[in-house]
Amino acid sequence: MTLVEDFSLLEKHGFKLLPYYLAKNEADALKAAKKIGYPVALKIVSPEVEHKTDIGGVRITLRNEEMLRNAYKEIMQNANGRKVDGILVQKMARKGVELIIGGKKDPQFGHMVVLGLGGIYVEIFRDISARICPLVASDVDEMVAELKVHPLLEGARGKKPVNKKALEALVLRMCRFMAEEDIKEMDLNPVVFDERGCDIVDARFSR
Amino acid sequence: MKRMIKNLGRVFEPKSVAIVGASATPNKIGNVLVRNFLDTKFPGAVYPVNPKYPELFGLKCYAKVSDIPGKVDCVIVATPAETVPGVMRDCADKKVGGVVILSGGFEEVNRNDLAQKLREIAEASNIPVVGPNCLGVFNPYTKVDSIFLPMYKLERPKAGSIAFVTQSGAVGSTVVDLMAYYGVGLSKFISYGNGTILDESDYLEYLMQDEKTKTIILYLEGVKDGRKLLAAMKKVNKVKPIIALKAGKGAGGQAAARSHTGNIAGSYLAYNAAFKQAKVAEADGIDEVFDFVKIFNQPKPKGNRMGVITNGGGMGVLTADYIESEGLALAQFSEETKKELAEILPAYGTVANPLDLVADAGVEAYEKAIGVMMKDPNIDGLIVIILTQTPPIDERIIHVLTKVLDAQTKPIATISVGGTYTEVYRKILESKGVPSYSSPRAAVKAMERLVVYSKYCRQLGKK
Repeated sequence: MTLVEDFSLLEKHGFKLLPYYLAKNEADALKAAKKIGYPVALKIVSPEVEHKTDIGGVRITLRNEEMLRNAYKEIMQNANGRKVDGILVQKMARKGVELIIGGKKDPQFGHMVVLGLGGIYVEIFRDISARICPLVASDVDEMVAELKVHPLLEGARGKKPVNKKALEALVLRMCRFMAEEDIKEMDLNPVVFDERGCDIVDARFSR
Repeated sequence: MKRMIKNLGRVFEPKSVAIVGASATPNKIGNVLVRNFLDTKFPGAVYPVNPKYPELFGLKCYAKVSDIPGKVDCVIVATPAETVPGVMRDCADKKVGGVVILSGGFEEVNRNDLAQKLREIAEASNIPVVGPNCLGVFNPYTKVDSIFLPMYKLERPKAGSIAFVTQSGAVGSTVVDLMAYYGVGLSKFISYGNGTILDESDYLEYLMQDEKTKTIILYLEGVKDGRKLLAAMKKVNKVKPIIALKAGKGAGGQAAARSHTGNIAGSYLAYNAAFKQAKVAEADGIDEVFDFVKIFNQPKPKGNRMGVITNGGGMGVLTADYIESEGLALAQFSEETKKELAEILPAYGTVANPLDLVADAGVEAYEKAIGVMMKDPNIDGLIVIILTQTPPIDERIIHVLTKVLDAQTKPIATISVGGTYTEVYRKILESKGVPSYSSPRAAVKAMERLVVYSKYCRQLGKK
């Protein structure tokens, strides 16, 4: 399935993704950005690229047409002859705490959900918390409390706590989605949380 | 399956036992088995089964189980794997209570065909089967004992309230030996090996109903049906606390270093999640199993506020550190407690938590301090450090502590750190059922598990 098909299926299941558009050329991207509203991010969509940032395939916080045009050209240059399906124009996510919410089907226990702080922290500190599906809201609270970084979510250093209700709803939705579509593995990574809610920046899954 | 679980009663409380593969050759499994039954003076009938002998150890020996006149409750099988389906069919014809198959040579060596035959016969006849490829069962109350290790080499624990369900025979036997050594009382021992017919979840269900069992130790390597285990743990742990030990964490641990979820979620992560979801206390190693077992016989605390008593300041500080890092709290004494404690202390002592009775403290000071803290509503549990090396501490402390236990109001964990002399003290305390620890960390960690489990039980009560 293509990225757009994946995203559409997620939306069909009630996941609220950041507004996006798969642009085929620069003019297309400009039109989409105008419609979505600046600032936006551009991301390469290519079957030959797994980690987009590693090849310079992502440009963020593009505030106007000029920045977008330059970014588009840079990304196409960095693609360096790889097959490009298009460039994803996406609304910039809110600022906040980046979480990774993963899921997989364990051979013995079936579907399970894994929560962790996004980015490099998952790798270095192994700071993750897991539960077997289906979950109830209190399970999600316990998962959060188990993370070493949980003070960050509770509003450390004068920041407001993240919206727990949004996190609960998202995790429970993911459990339902994995069961209904028989998902083998999935990642919402990152999902950015603040006190009002969350933005799903990227998502992938396999069956 | 329900009927099979219920029928397990005839395996654990048999009036008659048949031993298939009974042998006259010393050190053979079939020899040790019969000997053990005779040595422990098993009160029921013992029937050796082996077509080779007319009699064995002065008992009539039968060619097959169906030749035995009268009812047979429990059959223990120790013959080669190929012969076992035949024995099972004979047992089904005889309508025996249950079968314990010690023999290996089934799934673990890819003989799924043999395992499937056992399953078919068991399911058709509703005969519960323990094993194969295991040490089987031991019930110190009825003396049924299929652990084929000589009694002088592997001591059997006294009768008590701890049940132990284990996949591995090796871990199983060593834990049983340690239980005897530490004086921990056992209710049922179940080594289920391949778990071909009844698995760990079925045994948990059985033990939930077992009157003698109050706490369950569960040793796992891997399970076939994780969802069934999670459901069983959730159901049983509400009634009786389960302490779980999981082996084979390695692959999951390595995979956790990878950021992609498919790799993070190595299979140990799923077990760990299941234990957490069922609120099962997961122990990190055999020593921790015993640390937890000791404390779970204590009354359930109403909160996490600990009163600490010590006769050595430094050990109190170390304990306070762990109380903080493990998520417990140091209690704030009530005014009345403060007043009463001040009277116990020498003039140069100060009332604080941890309460330092100082090295001059004798057994009387401990008795009074424990009494005061036991009635303070601001204190949920006690951690009592006894440095036995100080001159005024003598064996009367054992009497004081056992008296506290008899009152059964708040949980108490004791800590005594030291060498040979101290360890003798600890062993006596443990044999009296007083939770005794050789390090502050072990004591506090165990208390924390009891606090977590108690909180869970309170929440269940409210729902």
